[in-house]
Amino acid sequence: MNSTVRRSWLIVPAHDKERLELAANSGADVVALDLEDTVHDSRKHEARENIRDAIGVMRDAGSEVFVRCDPELLYADMAASVWRGLSGVILPGLTSTGQIVEADSILSQFESERGVVRPPPVGEVREADDPRGPEQALEIHLSLDTGPANWHAEELVQASNRIQSTSLGRADLKMDLREEPSGDLHLMPYLMQRLIVIANALGVEPVGAWWRSTSRGLAASHHDTLQAAITGRQAGFRGALCMKADQVAALNLGFTPSAEDVNLALTVLESEPAHTPVAAISANTLEWSDACALRDRSAALARNMGGDNDD
Amino acid sequence: MTRRIRRSGLTMPINNPRFVGRSWTRDCDYLNFDLEDSVPQSQKEYARTLVREAIEHGKKGAAEINIRINCAYPEVDVRAAAWPGVSQINFPKAETAEQIENLDALITEMERIRGIRPGTIRIGATVETTLGVANSYEIASASYRIDSFGPGTGYDMSMDMGVEMFVGFDQFFYNRGEGELIAMALGLERDGSVYMPDTTGNVGNADLALDRARASRKAGLRSGGGLHPNVVAPQNEGLTPTQEDVDDARRVLEFFSDIDARGEAEGDMDGRVVDKYEAARATEVIEWAALCASRDAEKAAARERTMAAEQAAVAESASDEQSSEQVPAAESTPDTHSEQSDDGPQVEESTSPDDPEEQEQ
Repeated sequence: MNSTVRRSWLIVPAHDKERLELAANSGADVVALDLEDTVHDSRKHEARENIRDAIGVMRDAGSEVFVRCDPELLYADMAASVWRGLSGVILPGLTSTGQIVEADSILSQFESERGVVRPPPVGEVREADDPRGPEQALEIHLSLDTGPANWHAEELVQASNRIQSTSLGRADLKMDLREEPSGDLHLMPYLMQRLIVIANALGVEPVGAWWRSTSRGLAASHHDTLQAAITGRQAGFRGALCMKADQVAALNLGFTPSAEDVNLALTVLESEPAHTPVAAISANTLEWSDACALRDRSAALARNMGGDNDD
Repeated sequence: MTRRIRRSGLTMPINNPRFVGRSWTRDCDYLNFDLEDSVPQSQKEYARTLVREAIEHGKKGAAEINIRINCAYPEVDVRAAAWPGVSQINFPKAETAEQIENLDALITEMERIRGIRPGTIRIGATVETTLGVANSYEIASASYRIDSFGPGTGYDMSMDMGVEMFVGFDQFFYNRGEGELIAMALGLERDGSVYMPDTTGNVGNADLALDRARASRKAGLRSGGGLHPNVVAPQNEGLTPTQEDVDDARRVLEFFSDIDARGEAEGDMDGRVVDKYEAARATEVIEWAALCASRDAEKAAARERTMAAEQAAVAESASDEQSSEQVPAAESTPDTHSEQSDDGPQVEESTSPDDPEEQEQ
């Protein structure tokens, strides 16, 4: 079980100073600085210029930092993003293995030129070892947000070792999946289950929440975000993307096992033989709960140190 | 290629003269004349002789003409089906790409022989078995003639899967996702509909048809079809954007234009987030509404022309009768044009229009 805790991935338009500030105070496990959809073409340049400083600010605030790149502007976006403190990039809109191999290659180039390595989730950013270990490579989070990407998910995810997590990104919007009478978004239950199966089969983390049509994206309330996270956790996710800083707390809460979940797991472990599946599930719950608690403590410590760890 | 409008369509046995004769009055976007399951084996050969006549009936209402053939003998059926005026040949129980490639070759040959512009006849590949579901991607990508694709649902599918047909949950959940995802992956129009509980099996349920069509439209689906005339009007209505939808789409585009001019990628419009995806959807809604209006006008004009022509024929016939009354009775020509010879062997009309087959399109 991967115990990297990334319950909340907050997407922030990298040109928007106000939202960057909110993100730094959001408590997000991951801040995803956006160079894609939420940034108008006329402001891409400005957004790119903010990235390097924003990486440091977000890390000081206890968040991991990813940058969401525009698939048509990959080189320029990565050139603006691969700096000390970056954990990885989110790549939406890619539909072929060739595009992923190219993205991997661009990342390698900038890693090498700038001595950048993937830092630990929280804490000191190390310089590159020589040779660098695979655990030091910047990650790719693959957003499967189109029909072709979802259909070819298996081969796309395997196109680069850097891919450690995958989500449907903004598939609901990009694939125009809208409300059904049931309240679910058309096709999303199927796509989410498919994503979870493929991600687990390939050993990468599925990221998502069970958003309902009435409350998603920027419009999602705290209550609905919490419900989406809880249902998402029960369905097999352990973290999700969100669009507003005030949705972070709901995701962190919803993806963390509740006290009731922990008590139930402890009870099961006391009564069930250790080798049974139900005991293993309970052990996972406790392990995840501990990891979440540790993540929260580390982030708080990082914030208290005011960024003394980085740069 | 122009986007096709396929909100409503009736599948009917081609050897039922009553159904076929009235088909043009139904206001269908397309008509699916059947050579397959609704035609008994003993009638197949005769049914193949009826295609051109059926085309003429259907065209009187400007319906797009489809012919459903038998998957077991495409060679003889394609020869019978591929005539000028046919827009699509539907291939049921599709299971492999090879079947579709063979069908494509047969159609290509008939287009060549019969002087039909190459590529005119589309293929509708219908998945109705589990093997077909497993091979859906290969099937859907086997021919450029396939421009839409949908999930394996319906009566045959339920039999092959061993599940009940009319239950209160979506027993085709996987198929539905798979079929639509493949259509999106290949850039094809998505067939199919949003699932709605139906435990009755009444294929003539107009209320359910309307609810399903509206829900499907909201979910981005654009096509329908069925077995009972009752569902045609609800499907036409439900799959056409309302004026309110169109007005709303125009407001979205106007709002997006404003924020775009200000260098913003997204904005709040009365509590709704508007961005380029919402703008794209609004554009599609407006275009689709215009296409639907144009299609409705086309069908109405065709029906008016047909009715006017028929009224003129009746008037002419009455006039002829008046003239013939003045001719000595012994010189009149006896009517030897019997229904029997016109319609071929008598076909037992379906007494059960609620046949559940293909209710799920």
